[in-house]
Amino acid sequence: MQQHPFVAILTRLGTFVLVMIALSIMIFVLARVVPGDPARMALGPAATPEQVNVLRSQMGLDQPLAMQYLDYVDKALRGDLGMSLVSQRPVTTDLAQTVPATLELVLVSVIFMFAVAIPLGVLIAHYRDRAVDHIGRLLSLTGVTIPSFLFAITLQLLAARYLTNWPIIGRLDHGLNWSGGPTGLLLIDGLLTGRPDVSLNALQHLILPAFALSMAGIGQITRITRSAMIENQRKDHVLTLKSFGVPERVIIFSYLLKLSSIAPLTIMGLEFASLIGNAFVIEMIFAWGGFASYGLNAVLQKDLNAVTAVVLVAGLFFIVANLIVDVLVTIIDPRLRRKEAR
Amino acid sequence: MADLKMLDASDRELSSPYMMWYRFSRNSSAVIGTLILLSVVIFAVFAPYLTPFPKHVGAVVDFRARHMAPDWIHWFGTDKAGRDIFSRTVFGLRISLLLVIGVLGISVPVGTVLGLIAGYFGGWSERLISGLTNVMLAMPPLVMALAVSNLLEPNLMNAMIAITLLWWTWHARLIYAVSKSIASEDYIEAARLAGAGPIHILFREILPNCIPVLSVKTTLDAAFVILFGATLSFLGFGVKPPIPDLGSMVADGRQFIPDYWWEVLCPGAALLYTTLGFNLLGDGLRDMFDVES
Repeated sequence: MQQHPFVAILTRLGTFVLVMIALSIMIFVLARVVPGDPARMALGPAATPEQVNVLRSQMGLDQPLAMQYLDYVDKALRGDLGMSLVSQRPVTTDLAQTVPATLELVLVSVIFMFAVAIPLGVLIAHYRDRAVDHIGRLLSLTGVTIPSFLFAITLQLLAARYLTNWPIIGRLDHGLNWSGGPTGLLLIDGLLTGRPDVSLNALQHLILPAFALSMAGIGQITRITRSAMIENQRKDHVLTLKSFGVPERVIIFSYLLKLSSIAPLTIMGLEFASLIGNAFVIEMIFAWGGFASYGLNAVLQKDLNAVTAVVLVAGLFFIVANLIVDVLVTIIDPRLRRKEAR
Repeated sequence: MADLKMLDASDRELSSPYMMWYRFSRNSSAVIGTLILLSVVIFAVFAPYLTPFPKHVGAVVDFRARHMAPDWIHWFGTDKAGRDIFSRTVFGLRISLLLVIGVLGISVPVGTVLGLIAGYFGGWSERLISGLTNVMLAMPPLVMALAVSNLLEPNLMNAMIAITLLWWTWHARLIYAVSKSIASEDYIEAARLAGAGPIHILFREILPNCIPVLSVKTTLDAAFVILFGATLSFLGFGVKPPIPDLGSMVADGRQFIPDYWWEVLCPGAALLYTTLGFNLLGDGLRDMFDVES
């Protein structure tokens, strides 16, 4: 029985809600069984036991765990993720400031991945077992294998040596006199507010970290695209086209490419978790100041509310990405669009 | 009948040690991967005898020799304390391999047994495994490991615990899928009718069929575990100095780029060499066993 694609996506959505609930319970419990006392951490060693106790009850830490969790969910659904102990501001405010930076970085990386990996995969599949194929496969294997921090530092090193004026840290030059825009995505804000120089400068800053972040995905997607292209070449309808004398170019671009982009898209969705993970490293190296840097700092400072929020937002990133992938795959694959059961 | 005949002739020949060796030796990525890994293991095991300055693994300081570029005495140069980077890198490989053994030594058996059980018996164990892996999938592993290892105490042991906690679910998921597809085969039913108990069926009938998938997955995973551990220690959640670890060596050297590039690139290259070895071997095994990824 095949479901209507709309129903299938709704089912997936239901699964994702359950996953979010399980994830939130897991991180919540984990964050509450910390050996160190968060109230003590927040106040510092000079605080008296009474002060610590007052803060503990203010934070609800003296309540049973289940009550704390329900309380947290109740507030979270109303847009209150608690106060950050370190920044002394609501966590949502911190997130609103840092998430756009990471979102911009991740989106540009994903564009890089597909822009580089799909053509490369098609190319080396076309020249299968020839020199181009061997070099391409070695490069993509290296992409999968290289630690992202090593690749990022190497890029910085090369830029520092050979592109002396190219920015290697931060999101913008300091002298730009930029006061922020509506979306927080600099590429778009610059254009919206009539400051193309800001967009251009942001783009320059973006290229290196986005490339570093996309490297693992480029390697993975190139490999998958290559094997999908090779496998689909053996399909009956492709052989039929070939025997009718349809030019190779038409076969590749009108028939094979669409069919072969399903596997890489699906993998992309799953890769998203490690993409977010790698963003922690890349943001640190490029002093990006995004959500991942915020998360790293929160973990180091044992800032409970911030850590919980960061894990949940990371999970949300993954889930939204996979929903988008599901929709895209449904659009691309006509077999999934057919309503009747087969 | 036809099935039986095929089993008799080709399959047995294909799985004979000689055939396996032949297919292995014809597979260049498996051979290169194995050679790389052999060299890594030899260097790691015999590190004290194969390195020029084994004492530099500890808290040695020699300021006259600091930040020296690679030459014939210091193949990888020296670091900010004048220690030989080649010696430290080789000892760092030990930590990486230890991490692999620790993490996979626990998560592979645990994941395999749970996956077998879930695949063969189904029911609540099936729901538990698929539910857990769905949650784990949505969780960036690095974020999870950071959270776990820091909530405890940031060191190698806790990093290992954190990675292990995450890793077994992947093996469970994989073995679950394989064993579920095998559980309905006729020969399993035959074994059951012949009076074989669940233990015999799980470990003598189903498990051997999982070996190809398991060996490919474990080999590729070794590379991921090394990368993962190096990333954790790069971020400062690894072993404590002065013990050399590839990730923290790269992090230390990062302060001195671009001038003293070897302090980053040499330990980094060793890391890449090792993970490349595991990946080549894994790719080769996959071709040999003809396993889908």
